[in-house]
Amino acid sequence: MPNPLALIAEITHRCPLHCVYCSNPLELTSRKEELATVDWLRVFGEAAALGVLHLHLTGGEPLARPDLAELIAGARQSRLYTNLITSGIGLSRERLAQLVEAGLDHIQLSFQDSSEGPANWIAGARAHAHKIELAGWIRSHRIAFTANLVVHRQNIEHLEGMIEGIEALHPDRMEIAHAQYYGWALQNRSALLPTRAQLDRALAVVAAAEERLRGKVRIDMVVPDYHARYPKACMGGWGRQLMLIDPAGRALPCHAAGVIPGMCFDNVREHTLDWIWQSSAAFQKFRGEDWMPEPCRSCDRRKEDFGGCRCQAYLLTGDASATDPVCELAPLHHLIEDAVREDAATGLAPEAREAPFHVLQEQMAGFWRYRTDPK
Amino acid sequence: MRGIVAELTDASVPKFAVGCRWGGTTEAPVVLFPEGTIRVEGTGRIILELCDGHFTFAEIVQKLETQFMLAPKGKIRTEVQTFLEQLHVKRIVDY
Repeated sequence: MPNPLALIAEITHRCPLHCVYCSNPLELTSRKEELATVDWLRVFGEAAALGVLHLHLTGGEPLARPDLAELIAGARQSRLYTNLITSGIGLSRERLAQLVEAGLDHIQLSFQDSSEGPANWIAGARAHAHKIELAGWIRSHRIAFTANLVVHRQNIEHLEGMIEGIEALHPDRMEIAHAQYYGWALQNRSALLPTRAQLDRALAVVAAAEERLRGKVRIDMVVPDYHARYPKACMGGWGRQLMLIDPAGRALPCHAAGVIPGMCFDNVREHTLDWIWQSSAAFQKFRGEDWMPEPCRSCDRRKEDFGGCRCQAYLLTGDASATDPVCELAPLHHLIEDAVREDAATGLAPEAREAPFHVLQEQMAGFWRYRTDPK
Repeated sequence: MRGIVAELTDASVPKFAVGCRWGGTTEAPVVLFPEGTIRVEGTGRIILELCDGHFTFAEIVQKLETQFMLAPKGKIRTEVQTFLEQLHVKRIVDY
């Protein structure tokens, strides 16, 4: 069996933002259930011994953990490449310097839109100006900088402006990430899923930016799978390349697997990472091809996409073993076609978008549901 | 090459871009970069080990030409250039 290449550490679910496209589970882990520093440091050591090369520190907002610098230092000591996935809220100039000093290799900063009003409306928090300032501080250090633009129906028409704004911040890399429909994003799908015409325009915008920025900024794009013919090879296949540890220490094959009923996800408090990867029932559940139904079982593409995403199959069909309905060959593909045809409700008048979170939450109640913080 | 890709000249000093470094083990070294890994072996590994900021492009080509004396003239230069330009576009090597 191959070893995992990357470990995704959701070190906390606490977050000062309320992004409507958040793919965290609806049932968030509370602070008192979070793993202690010493547990994480042991997990990082076990991961490196298992062959893991990259560590992605994410959440929630990882900066909510006061021990973040200690975690980064420990990860580097275990020879892991450390990547911080952050909104930047809670990151002062001094704290950034501490994280870099601790050995951080790469910072990935998310952006919600091209200006404060719409970004505030999407994130339920005033964060845009701070992100711009933070980008300047990041560039004064020798670490890699990725700007992550999360794209969906409500900001896709601003994509050109978003890319131009980001370009001025001189990142090494831009990630144009279309929202993925799990967790809070799935709740808000009708407001977030772009139309085919919007997507085609966005693809042209990205292609032009790639041409223009070639050799200067690397652009990677995560396409929205609802508009694809075939499903994504989710996480490179179940239990094939990645492990995710949630804030309470449960090990999962991907971000959303916790929704699949009847599964037992073993905890790093009780088992080694090696045992979980090699032997736990959860990681073996959808490995290989024995679980596959038709049409996957006899399909030539099964070794490329592994039947698509198990969580998406469950969330949309109620059966985690079904062919991912994104696939045009799936018996239940009409579920995707119906979703793509849905008309989106209208958004909020631009002048109201600067409102504080509690006002937005009330105003937008029938439109979308903001992510809330765990208790 | 289109766009603003920097020109690789004899005097260029190729080195890892920010956020890129060696990882893995001595037996199976890899180049780590944001969101990815490249396993390098053979000539690729030899070239990248010379991209430590101490050697110019011309010096790297010369070292390889000495090492692979039987290769047709000019071939090594073209291959090293293509290799480095590809990694430059991926933001793994700067020069």
